[in-house]
Amino acid sequence: MEKMSRVTTALGGSVLTGRTMHCHLDAPANAISVCRDAAQVVVAGRSIFKIYAIEEEQFVEKLNLRVGRKPSLNLSCADVVWHQMDENLLATAATNGVVVTWNLGRPSRNKQDQLFTEHKRTVNKVCFHPTEAHVLLSGSQDGFMKCFDLRRKDSVSTFSGQSESVRDVQFSIRDYFTFASTFENGNVQLWDIRRPDRCERMFTAHNGPVFCCDWHPEDRGWLATGGRDKMVKVWDMTTHRAKEMHCVQTIASVARVKWRPECRHHLATCSMMVDHNIYVWDVRRPFVPAAMFEEHRDVTTGIAWRHPHDPSFLLSGSKDSSLCQHLFRDASQPVERANPEGLCYGLFGDLAFAAKESLVAAESGRKPYTGDRRHPIFFKRKLDPAEPFAGLASSALSVFETEPGGGGMRWFVDTAERYALAGRPLAELCDHNAKVARELGRNQPWPSAHCKPQPQCGQGCSPQGLGLFNLKDMAPGLGSETRLDRSKGDARSDTVLLDSSATLITNEDNEETEGSDVPADYLLGDVEGEEDELYLLDPEHAHPEDPECVLPQEAFPLRHEIVDTPPGPEHLQDKADSPHVSGSEADVASLAPVDSSFSLLSVSHALYDSRLPPDFFGVLVRDMLHFYAEQGDVQMAVSVLIVLGERVRKDIDEQTQEHWYTSYIDLLQRFRLWNVSNEVVKLSTSRAVSCLNQASTTLHVNCSHCKRPMSSRGWVCDRCHRCASMCAVCHHVVKGLFVWCQGCSHGGHLQHIMKWLEGSSHCPAGCGHLCEYS
Amino acid sequence: MIHDAQMDYYGTRLATCSSDRSVKIFDVRNGGQILIADLRGHEGPVWQVAWAHPMYGNILASCSYDRKVIIWREENGTWEKSHEHAGHDSSVNSVCWAPHDYGLILACGSSDGAISLLTYTGEGQWEVKKINNAHTIGCNAVSWAPAVVPGSLIDQPSGQKPNYIKRFASGGCDNLIKLWKEEEDGQWKEEQKLEAHSDWVRDVAWAPSIGLPTSTIASCSQDGRVFIWTCDDASSNTWSPKLLHKFNDVVWHVSWSITANILAVSGGDNKVTLWKESVDGQWVCISDVNKGQGSVSASVTEGQQNEQ
Repeated sequence: MEKMSRVTTALGGSVLTGRTMHCHLDAPANAISVCRDAAQVVVAGRSIFKIYAIEEEQFVEKLNLRVGRKPSLNLSCADVVWHQMDENLLATAATNGVVVTWNLGRPSRNKQDQLFTEHKRTVNKVCFHPTEAHVLLSGSQDGFMKCFDLRRKDSVSTFSGQSESVRDVQFSIRDYFTFASTFENGNVQLWDIRRPDRCERMFTAHNGPVFCCDWHPEDRGWLATGGRDKMVKVWDMTTHRAKEMHCVQTIASVARVKWRPECRHHLATCSMMVDHNIYVWDVRRPFVPAAMFEEHRDVTTGIAWRHPHDPSFLLSGSKDSSLCQHLFRDASQPVERANPEGLCYGLFGDLAFAAKESLVAAESGRKPYTGDRRHPIFFKRKLDPAEPFAGLASSALSVFETEPGGGGMRWFVDTAERYALAGRPLAELCDHNAKVARELGRNQPWPSAHCKPQPQCGQGCSPQGLGLFNLKDMAPGLGSETRLDRSKGDARSDTVLLDSSATLITNEDNEETEGSDVPADYLLGDVEGEEDELYLLDPEHAHPEDPECVLPQEAFPLRHEIVDTPPGPEHLQDKADSPHVSGSEADVASLAPVDSSFSLLSVSHALYDSRLPPDFFGVLVRDMLHFYAEQGDVQMAVSVLIVLGERVRKDIDEQTQEHWYTSYIDLLQRFRLWNVSNEVVKLSTSRAVSCLNQASTTLHVNCSHCKRPMSSRGWVCDRCHRCASMCAVCHHVVKGLFVWCQGCSHGGHLQHIMKWLEGSSHCPAGCGHLCEYS
Repeated sequence: MIHDAQMDYYGTRLATCSSDRSVKIFDVRNGGQILIADLRGHEGPVWQVAWAHPMYGNILASCSYDRKVIIWREENGTWEKSHEHAGHDSSVNSVCWAPHDYGLILACGSSDGAISLLTYTGEGQWEVKKINNAHTIGCNAVSWAPAVVPGSLIDQPSGQKPNYIKRFASGGCDNLIKLWKEEEDGQWKEEQKLEAHSDWVRDVAWAPSIGLPTSTIASCSQDGRVFIWTCDDASSNTWSPKLLHKFNDVVWHVSWSITANILAVSGGDNKVTLWKESVDGQWVCISDVNKGQGSVSASVTEGQQNEQ
């Protein structure tokens, strides 16, 4: 209370105003100190010692204390302090070890009052007693602290820290007789001013030098210390042993620390190297500064709050020769920038989410959605020691898993592993894959791309049908033949859509959006044999006058292409006998439906009759693949691409294909499906893709005679000038399979050696070895 | 406070970073959570972490308020600092590895407004390129475009590295999203400026290119809005924004699922919502489970099950 009243008097009830501003000094500043009227600031440095008036809009130079022609070393200031009770009294610490006091009330130009030349080395710090007008304390590099009574010529007492250099001395606000001093060896000492023989208490506060300390202004015995170890620690000195209350970790060594007035947990720091900014920390949030002032371009050397009861104005001096007034509200607030949430989509569709715990906790009362099928697989709570911030500054981390078949990616793995891509007839592949898709509950229209020659059903009717049949009320277990019949029957009565590519897309869209497992079958029919033959025989006919009537053109190459495809021509031939079976194969993706609402759209054959664009199917398949790719299901696109092989390849531009391939391979590798990925690489027809497998394979050849590595070209060894890997039988160079006996290392063409060994078990080279081949 | 969580390429490990300067790596296989490593080295809050492609080994990059970017590497089961980049003048907010096809390249966005690109040149050396003044006041997020090769691929002789066009997007405090492209001389040039947000852009996410060569970028901002930017025609390079949703609070993160069809959005209200583009091109929130839809996804949001 006593202090309060004193300050109010000093303030005189006036209100501080001002703005963020700075002024240029002639030289770098080492320290600043504010007059108790909060209207003047003194700046001291090696070659500067001036008083500035803080006006509303600017700093105005009021007095230059460096007078006299010959610059004295006494004027090279390491520190300056303005008495908080006497507006005319200042003290400076000189780099040559002199402590000078200044009396602004002197009428002469030279305001220098007293000179104490007792320290042997630089004085790092001077400090007036907060309430006693004549008591001055100094701390020096020489390891001593001295207490001066300004009414006397010499020091009253000398304190020997018995440690290293003194970096800072500060009178306690709480105890009249107590002061704290910090040392270069990391110690902090507490002294009673009446007992110079030994310190009251000593403890190691930091690793390395403690550059500064500051007593909490609200006299609660808190001492903040800052050190080269980049930490600011807050100690409770009231207890028997100094207790570390808080520890703030800054990013550079701490040169100054000043408690922020009226804000119990705030303190300002600046660094002596690297970092030019001034930070205001909330000691309870030790990692992110509450505010940051970035005005200075060089190291900040002095900071001071303008008024002991005003938290918004901070003054600072810097090596960049400038003096700044910072307004707290203009500070940048890194906390605001800090991202309180982390979010990541995992590979399997799981989601990691870290968020402020307060928010999570606040919502914990809420009921999770009943339909919520994700569960946090772990939940981590980080407790912050600082109670008030526990909610704000800690995070909860949850990982949400998806259920298989949900948004997860298990289907991808399963599908990838189970899809058959090659090695079987086309139809079987399709069937198999359709089955896989069905079992996995996915709705993929595996084209039963039979494209079989169908026996004629009617002369004028080309069974050219890529049909989407709309089947209603159809049990999934129906026999395939029945189904086809049904579908045909339905097709006639149902809406017939001409624009089948559009239909296909729409249909699939429906599946996607409805989420029901809707089969989207289509048949790739072909013209029947007779028609083909007809056109084969009559090539003229293949180019009809009517440009629209392009069926022959199309039918002809398509059929040939199909018949020529390696997988299962016999199979196709077999089936050719029964007209309906082909349809049965078409069921492909008629999956176990959820709502049993099949939507197979049919296109009547007759309507299509010879009016199909040449690459009708290609377009359709292409659109479908594009659609899937766009839906993020590149797996489907690539699988179909591989299975259908040449049939669709020409319809999709190489680049897209390659893009799909690489995307898919990439995905497979992410899921560590190396085998599948390798298979895809192998089966892909894109050159750039298939060469992926050879990318990192190198063949090293050594000469069989001299064992030296062979140069990359040719079959003659550079060193021994002999042909490598000669066949022992025919004496030619073996450029292919080379077998050799591991006993005598002679060998040759596989065929030759085999033949040779039929007759003799001796080495063909004549070395007498009884060759053994396994 | 955890600022970021990232799963590795195979989805087996989760890296988190926190205000307490630590970077932690968890093994999350089989639903467990085992702390594998606690990486100490930063001197300030760590904002973001990023996993490199496993073909380069187990590499994690982290960026921090201490203006540093640290690249960690696991060798013989122990994680160690492999490189430290201290080229920024202010907090580094975002790190992102380029697609593995480009080699090891890391983009870092910082509050000093610059974006730096670290390229591994072998033998522990990193080459640094810096784009100064990429975003005034600061850059909050960087995200690489997936590797797409211009022109025909098949003309590339096998074994030779295809000539990729490297691109990435960045979002900053100037409310802009910028797209950057590497010129032939290796310099980075601003290619596009996407303007729609009315406040700081908090995150940008370039969608993985699975399927069609349409480029998609999601961006979110302090203004609560999430935009989806699409560029259908790579040659004209025009991007059109579509507002996904306006949230009532800051949106911190956007994240694509690996097939790029689902977008996860996390906002200041502590919710994660999942979004999917419907057939008619509208983005719909699918995180509310509709029982009729057996498909795609379930819900995360609202009830963060606080089980402890």
